[in-house]
Amino acid sequence: MNGPAWNSWKLVVLSPLPPWLLWALGVGLLLGVAFAAWGVRREPTRWRRFLLWGLRALAGLAALFFLLEPGLRRLQLASVKNRVAVLVDRSASMGFPVEPGGPTRAASVAEWLERAAPQLDALRERFSLEFYGFDPELSPVSLAQLKGDPPRAGRTDLLGALRAATGGDPGGSGKKLSGVLLFSDGADNAELQGGVGDRARRGLEELGVPVSTFLVGDGALKDLAVQDVKVDDFAFVRNAVTVEVQVRARGFAGTTTNVTLAREGAPVGSKELSFSSDDEVKSLAFTFTPDQTGRFVYTLSLPVFPDEAVADNNSRAFTLKTIRDRIRVLLVVGRPSWDERFLRGLLKQDANIDLVSFYILRTLSDETQTVNDQRELSLIPFPTDEIFNTRLHTFDVVILQNFGYTEPGLSIAQYERNLEQYVHNGGALFFIGGDKVLGEGRSALTTLAQALPVEPSGQPANPEPFKPRLTPEGLRHPVSALGSGTQGTDAAWGSLPAIPGLNLVTAKPGATVLLEHPFTSVNGKNAPLLALWDYGRGRTVTLATDGSWYWAFTSHASGTPTRLYERFFGNALRWLVRDPELTTVTLSAEPASVEPGQPVAAVVTARTPDYQPAVGARVRVELSNVETRAVAGAQEVLTGPDGAVRVEFPPPAPGAWKLKATASLGDKELGSADDAVAVRAVGPELADAWVRPGLLEQLAEATGGRAFKLPSDGLPEVPLLDPPVVEVGRSRDEPLWDRWYYLVLLVGLLGAEWVLRRRFGYI
Amino acid sequence: MRRARYIAAGLRLPLPMHPSRRQLLQGLAATALLPSGAALGFGDSSRFVPAVAMHGGNWRGRVAALRRLAWEVQRRTSVEVVLDARPLPLDSPELFKHPFLYLGSDGPLPAFSAAEVENLRRFLTFGGLLVADANDASDGTGFDGSFRRELQRVLPQSPLGDLSMDHVLFKSFYLLDAAPGRVLNRPQVQAALVGKRAAVLYSQNDVAGAWSRSEGGSWEYECTPGGEPQRELALRLGVNLALYALCLDYKDDAVHLPMILKKRR
Repeated sequence: MNGPAWNSWKLVVLSPLPPWLLWALGVGLLLGVAFAAWGVRREPTRWRRFLLWGLRALAGLAALFFLLEPGLRRLQLASVKNRVAVLVDRSASMGFPVEPGGPTRAASVAEWLERAAPQLDALRERFSLEFYGFDPELSPVSLAQLKGDPPRAGRTDLLGALRAATGGDPGGSGKKLSGVLLFSDGADNAELQGGVGDRARRGLEELGVPVSTFLVGDGALKDLAVQDVKVDDFAFVRNAVTVEVQVRARGFAGTTTNVTLAREGAPVGSKELSFSSDDEVKSLAFTFTPDQTGRFVYTLSLPVFPDEAVADNNSRAFTLKTIRDRIRVLLVVGRPSWDERFLRGLLKQDANIDLVSFYILRTLSDETQTVNDQRELSLIPFPTDEIFNTRLHTFDVVILQNFGYTEPGLSIAQYERNLEQYVHNGGALFFIGGDKVLGEGRSALTTLAQALPVEPSGQPANPEPFKPRLTPEGLRHPVSALGSGTQGTDAAWGSLPAIPGLNLVTAKPGATVLLEHPFTSVNGKNAPLLALWDYGRGRTVTLATDGSWYWAFTSHASGTPTRLYERFFGNALRWLVRDPELTTVTLSAEPASVEPGQPVAAVVTARTPDYQPAVGARVRVELSNVETRAVAGAQEVLTGPDGAVRVEFPPPAPGAWKLKATASLGDKELGSADDAVAVRAVGPELADAWVRPGLLEQLAEATGGRAFKLPSDGLPEVPLLDPPVVEVGRSRDEPLWDRWYYLVLLVGLLGAEWVLRRRFGYI
Repeated sequence: MRRARYIAAGLRLPLPMHPSRRQLLQGLAATALLPSGAALGFGDSSRFVPAVAMHGGNWRGRVAALRRLAWEVQRRTSVEVVLDARPLPLDSPELFKHPFLYLGSDGPLPAFSAAEVENLRRFLTFGGLLVADANDASDGTGFDGSFRRELQRVLPQSPLGDLSMDHVLFKSFYLLDAAPGRVLNRPQVQAALVGKRAAVLYSQNDVAGAWSRSEGGSWEYECTPGGEPQRELALRLGVNLALYALCLDYKDDAVHLPMILKKRR
């Protein structure tokens, strides 16, 4: 059995004595030599003197030798190699060709690593080579994987990969890092997306190792891409919104093309773009005015040219939620009255309401006692066509207050169909009674009446003051909820003064009556005061009185200020415009913009008609393509204890998608809601096929490395931290002093000195 | 005699509706119950009816004038009125059914009681309009001095100030560039504001004096110095006061401004 191969040695002190004692004894020896010298200082014969000194000094040395017990430490030394990390970008952009028609960037790296094997082997003599791919997580990668597995990562994070490689010891070898070889196209879309800034530079310097970069791919690809889209998360309906777009064109010098913006297939705008150089970023903006609330998918599109590197990045879908900034209310008043005065006061006070009002201040029979109406009166013509035809769709709510003229110029008979259709198509109508409407006066408004939840009873109005009574529905409905809980609401209505009379009407089938006369009945049912319903896609509320102003003003006679009147009308307007908080079913896509390959998810919340969570409600959610209307999937689920449920659909194809939810509890429909989802065709990784040599150069320069383009031959000289560190393996101590002749020498020296001293006459 | 005149005036008005027998009976029943004797039909509560503040001074002097104003408003505008003027104590909760309140006297007002001050303050704060009118055309003394003193108690935070001729009061129905009454003592109307709303409008020109007709059907007071044209202007101011009470700043709406500016040019 062979012993270990000792390949080095060193002298060591093997004395078991503590150092301080060794020092003390050493000093004693010195003093002994010194005293001996002092004793023979007067020796007249020089050779005798030096002989005695010499013998004593040699004896001292010999004693010191025994004191220190010198030994030989035999060593076995091992030379440990440092690491060199080879990092290969595994993001999807490495799947682009190196050049038009060429191999992919990833294949090109694999091929080079194969070709440079001899140089890499030579490097292995000094360093341990470790191969990693980053996607963007760092993981060991083999040549076979590089050749066989296409890169798929949706993100490139060069600095993150470098930190992972240098921050620890990913291979667990315990070796130190001498350098990094980075193979990438430089298409970073994380921390270094904007280049190497001060912070990134500090981060690179902190790595502490030189990073040499190898650019893969060249810039000869042709590509047209929607590089960036900037738009607010939401827009206000009927307010201009601007979408800022950046289009990047590579290799399109002298080309003119069009960018189009479409909302779920319907064109919104188109702009022409011309490119004068082969690498150009053009910014442009689309400004448009959304006319509908809700979330919609917008798509920006560029034409796809035949020789483009990537076709998918020529379009970009995004969602834009359009909300109301203020509720735009059209108030049309038959004639000035106290009912109108207090409603106007309320509407004008509310900062959330944009009020446009028209009052009939003079009828044909009025005698104004003027000579020149134009100069003496402040009246303007009643612009019926403008408000009931051309501008009607711009209002969120139309309030008709005791408006019932039949006279030419004041009658709105010819616009009744417009109004009815306005409601049917999603508008909102608040119809307030009085002595000219709902069976009173001469105007029947028969066409518009179709949209109302009530119809005249044929009986004359009841002028008796009364306190209305809440129906069971009214106790819980958000429009009549003036207090917290049913008791609070009941108490609030009970605290209001009696109002002077009501139009006697009957509720239509399907209408919800919230307030009714406590005694007066029509056709066997209590006469409704406040009734509402959904008409087509719109909503209508009818208040069958012109005395609600008593709730506003007369209610203050007792000295207790309340805001119940304001709360009631606020509730009614919010319900009419379908304030999201007052809908029974809500659907929210989460998120509204989905990256490619990600699932589409949504949360549905259902509430019962009295606005309590609908527990165990059956919810059906459909995902359909906006353009083809094809249903990609449907799910039926039950809501949980909070009335909410989450659904998820497998990743659909890129494009604009609609989610529609319908909810029912038992055999009762609770309502429906919809939302939009944009599924992107390409993520940021594939949005640009270009390579970024500049970034890799900056990166190498900041770390002390060198930047190369992937060479056609082998590995060039790269800076690496040297030299490799040497470490001790095993050792063995062999004593040198433990020999008999060293003792004889010491005794001989001391004896010789003693004999000579005696002979020379010393003691 | 006065009753006959109202009926005659009423005949010139378009019939508001065809009352049924039931309505007639209900109206009669209500007439029997109401202390003022006024029959309220459906919709009447929402109509314009001026209230006249009863106070310790001579509040009766312009009640007829207020009835005349209601008549003129009915005749000239689309506003439906109840042809009456309701005298109401200042501390009455009934004030809160009549947002237009006239306060006038031909001499000093006795101090309001605390209850009157409190009730009037609440009336003005929550939406009522007080039209004050110095029937004695006083300035510093008489009605003027006492009214200013009492208003200071009612609205201590809202002093009276001159109303600009740009104010919506001067365009709420008629385009006016003066505010005369029976006299032209002070050209401006003064106002006390609650928020942006003029809650008190005050004239020292005895505006109601210009509206007042005698039992015999003739104008009760001569208008000086402008005579009948001045009376017409005072009537127009009255109509504008009623329309301001009913419509607030309607004529300040953006939709009206271009045309009004064009007319004023």
